[in-house]
Amino acid sequence: MSAYLANAIEQGQLVNDWLTPKRLGSMALLQQTSWPTRKTESWKYTSVRSLEKKTFERGTTNDEHAFSSIAGLDAIELVFVNGVLQQLPEGLPAGLSIASLENVPESTQVWAREQFNVAKPSQHLFGLVNDVLADNGVIVDVAEGVTIDTPIHLVNLVSENNETQQRVIVRVGQNAKVTMIEHNTGSVESLVNHVAEYFVEESAELELYRFSFRTEKALTVSGAHVQLAKKAKLNATIVGFGSELSRMDLDVLHRGENAFAKINAIYLLAKGEHFDLHSTIEHEIGHCVTDETVRGIVGEKATAVFNGRIHIHRDAQKTLAELNNKNLLLTDDAKINTKPELEIYADDVRCAHGATVAELDKSALYYMTSRGVSRDTALVMLNFGFINALVDEMPNAVLAEWLRPILKERFVKMNAEL
Amino acid sequence: MLEIKNLQASVEDKEILKGLNLEIKPGEVHAIMGPNGAGKSTLGYVLSGREGYEVTDGSATLGNDDLLDMEAEERARAGLFLAFQYPVEIPGVSNLEFMKAAVDAHMEARGEELMSSAEFLKAAKLACKQVNLPLEFLKRGVNEGFSGGEKKRNEIMQMLLLKPSLCILDESDSGLDIDALKVVAEGVNSQRDPKRSFIVVTHYQRLLDYIKPDYVHVLSDGKIVKSGDASLAKELEAEGYAWLEGYDVEEADA
Amino acid sequence: MSDQIEDAINREYEAGFVSNIESETFAPGLDEDVVRRISAIKGEPEWMLQWRLKAFRVWQKMEEPDWAHLNYPKIDYQSISYYSAPKSMADKPKSLDEVDPELLATYEKLGIPLHEQEMLAGVAVDAVFDSVSVVTTFREKLEEAGVIFCPISEAVHKYPDLVKQYLGKVVPQHDNYFAALNCAVFTDGSFVYIPKGTRCPMELSTYFRINEQNTGQFERTLIVADEGSHVSYLEGCTAPQRDENQLHAAVVELVALDDAEIKYSTVQNWYPGDENGKGGIYNFVTKRGICHTNAKISWTQVETGSAITWKYPSCILKGDNSVGEFYSVALTRGAQQADTGTKMIHLGKNTKSTIISKGISAGRSNNSYRGLVQMHSTAGKARNFTQCDSLLIGDKCGAHTFPYVESSNASAIVEHEATTSKVSDDQMFLCQQRGLDPEKAVSMIVNGFCKEVFKELPMEFAVEAGKLLEISLEGSVG
Repeated sequence: MSAYLANAIEQGQLVNDWLTPKRLGSMALLQQTSWPTRKTESWKYTSVRSLEKKTFERGTTNDEHAFSSIAGLDAIELVFVNGVLQQLPEGLPAGLSIASLENVPESTQVWAREQFNVAKPSQHLFGLVNDVLADNGVIVDVAEGVTIDTPIHLVNLVSENNETQQRVIVRVGQNAKVTMIEHNTGSVESLVNHVAEYFVEESAELELYRFSFRTEKALTVSGAHVQLAKKAKLNATIVGFGSELSRMDLDVLHRGENAFAKINAIYLLAKGEHFDLHSTIEHEIGHCVTDETVRGIVGEKATAVFNGRIHIHRDAQKTLAELNNKNLLLTDDAKINTKPELEIYADDVRCAHGATVAELDKSALYYMTSRGVSRDTALVMLNFGFINALVDEMPNAVLAEWLRPILKERFVKMNAEL
Repeated sequence: MLEIKNLQASVEDKEILKGLNLEIKPGEVHAIMGPNGAGKSTLGYVLSGREGYEVTDGSATLGNDDLLDMEAEERARAGLFLAFQYPVEIPGVSNLEFMKAAVDAHMEARGEELMSSAEFLKAAKLACKQVNLPLEFLKRGVNEGFSGGEKKRNEIMQMLLLKPSLCILDESDSGLDIDALKVVAEGVNSQRDPKRSFIVVTHYQRLLDYIKPDYVHVLSDGKIVKSGDASLAKELEAEGYAWLEGYDVEEADA
Repeated sequence: MSDQIEDAINREYEAGFVSNIESETFAPGLDEDVVRRISAIKGEPEWMLQWRLKAFRVWQKMEEPDWAHLNYPKIDYQSISYYSAPKSMADKPKSLDEVDPELLATYEKLGIPLHEQEMLAGVAVDAVFDSVSVVTTFREKLEEAGVIFCPISEAVHKYPDLVKQYLGKVVPQHDNYFAALNCAVFTDGSFVYIPKGTRCPMELSTYFRINEQNTGQFERTLIVADEGSHVSYLEGCTAPQRDENQLHAAVVELVALDDAEIKYSTVQNWYPGDENGKGGIYNFVTKRGICHTNAKISWTQVETGSAITWKYPSCILKGDNSVGEFYSVALTRGAQQADTGTKMIHLGKNTKSTIISKGISAGRSNNSYRGLVQMHSTAGKARNFTQCDSLLIGDKCGAHTFPYVESSNASAIVEHEATTSKVSDDQMFLCQQRGLDPEKAVSMIVNGFCKEVFKELPMEFAVEAGKLLEISLEGSVG
């Protein structure tokens, strides 16, 4: 067992709060779990060595962090600094309630405790760590039939040597609609373990954005776990940059008929970065749809890992599931390990997946330079070309406009090294 | 305008151009004809600076610029335009955004003030109209899913926007029906100007009925073996290329 | 309608009879002594015995792998007999006339006549019965061309230099649990050597038969194609219908030197067990080839038998411009489980690989494709194309795809596609409305689904494979 894990278990035993009944089960599992090695299938391509012997402080400092909200976007801001919620927003729209994890009204505790770990499968090591340690986060509840037009924007800012264990639980009531933006950023040596569970109830809709922009020495392990009820809809956009260790586990559980999940994910890795996305789509019931598109561009000495599993259970007839993963390697020492998996136990389904790996189209680059466009500009345009379709598909246009310059800056950085 | 002296070039160590000489004055239209494998397309690639085409000897100057010493984009900004025989598709990058970047780069190089988006859009729409390209093609990915004829017209559209001083049309007639051919030719003819020169590379005489050349050169085995006026093209049409010395019929078919 | 499709899958296993042949069989159990006895019976030289012992010690330290999508009770390696040979083989028959007629009758019954005059022209056969090679046909004719085709036990004596040079070089002893076991206890198999620049004048074929009860079969095949040579090799296998599971752990090594080409085709029809999963062969096979410069190895397999299949015929594309191919049809029905696929390891420049896998699942079976495409940083401009299609028949089976793609070279291109479909009631109805009976309809649809792979099989085998599927699906429609 690694020092990190031993420490987490030790600290977990000290936690005593309203979630303790649920935490105990995870603690038991965690004590039986071994630290991942190359032989652990779900960690085959991602080493957790950089975390193995580290200890960080938790929530002890409260430094100043520069943070600017998303220009032009009217959002409900939830800014966490080292796991401390800076301010609980006031004057929320009718039908929306947000509680800080440390201070949850008893009525909310009842359902939130019940839902805790229902969407998140128990096999994620850092999910279990989060189960026993989570000490900050929010519980979001959207009442039945309510459409919340203002997106909820959650940001994590972490100081050097700090660690945050954050838990988010979101319930979108029947026929309700909400947009969540979860945004992790920073580059100093630190750890963010950010786990969120979303319960999208009958005919409800969740628009979800996950921006994982932590780079360099900022270690990140995170989970997004979505449960879809009958006719529920998920539209998720994930954008990830890499760092020494950056891992995201995405689970979507189709638990009611005619649920629909659209997932677009992009990973863009600059020199030496590592990023790992594991997505698992569980079709537990029939007549549901999954449409997952994943595009990645991998720069010099960077490694991207994608594992996309679609599991069609025995009774999930009439499922429609597609997964497509395309990768561009920018240099010869860039690496991609991709594994799209299908596990199918029902016959009347339409499932397909595809994965490709290639390099930037050299003839396109020549074509563009022959029109006078500089090589640098052409490279950035071609990088954009590879992912543009996914940015265009983001339902929130303001967010897309905010994102483009960030991506451009990233491309310039990725290509400057070539 | 363009002066090529003893140009020799190879691809993957295979010699393709073996000492080519050509001089083009402003406003002239030169046709380069010849059998397959003679090096016609290579000439365009070498002049425009495609990677993998290695110049082993000779020189090529455009105005006062030593072309061979410049990057592909610098040659373009210096006024050289190559209309490709097989334009590449670039999914995800829209035609409009691509051409805006190209025009910006040209204007920037000339030290001119950039066009506003609105001005540019107007110019782009006009260019599309001129070559009969529906406006929606500006929004689509560069050449993405275009038919052969649409790609050729898109090339000419780009030429209209970039206003080059030397245009190389590489088999711009191949795969076109007569109507599309006329559109391409009209686009080109509209750009004829005392300051602008053209190299029209073609296998057949057909295009030259619509774009009248001042000179016709026959390229064979990496060299210009015969030059003449427009009537030479007619001769070639009648006699084919079999008269060329050392011309290997089998190779041409390959 | 679905019931009809279901029924079309069920049929009798035609090769399930037992031959009544007196055998000399080791008592069950495995220790160093057993390894020594096998080596002694084969009269092996000391180096071969030491090689086996080394492998046995490696095996003892290894653990049985559990990563495959397979579910079976733990194998008790001490309950298996590691050697069995027909008694009549004790004093080696000199010619076919001296071979036990019951043995010949067995192969006759399986449709593999060993009398040369009765054979399909142009196919030389090595017949392996339990642990020994019974007969190898057409040897003289092959010798004229310089081709060596003989039991591997014989090659150890006659061609020790070749065997030493290549044995265990493509699949090392410690490669995996089952390969290590095979190294220790292999009893027979085929050895092929094609000299430089030679095109093997006929198809070579080995036919494996497990007869004895509680016996494992551990054969080993080694094919070396010297520079510029060419060979096509076929492999077939059956076993009687027994209630106990039997273990088959084979190793096949292919070496294609510069400019050589090896085509290796398998029709695997081991006893699959009954409807309820009782009995059947546990088939754990390691097959791998290495391609040197400009060489090509093509694996084609039609897998219809075995209770458990664990098999990944692979290519190491070491030489520049070398080519690897894998064409597979895997049919599972009843309670069968298959986890099969390939590994394409691209090391050389401009190497190319193609993977076409067709999985058909019926009954309560599970059928998994597992593949690895690896582009090393040295594999400039390498290319892979993979197509994995699954066909599900009925709603109680499973079809799975686990493709690993690892690329460390930007100029390499990898493309993987997978789809899944079913035999639909609409398709069935259309066929029936046009006058086809349901059995024919299913087999036609399945055959169409597999066409891309069948066309890669040598003609004799293509016919056999087509029939095999047809029989396999017989009675699946009622």
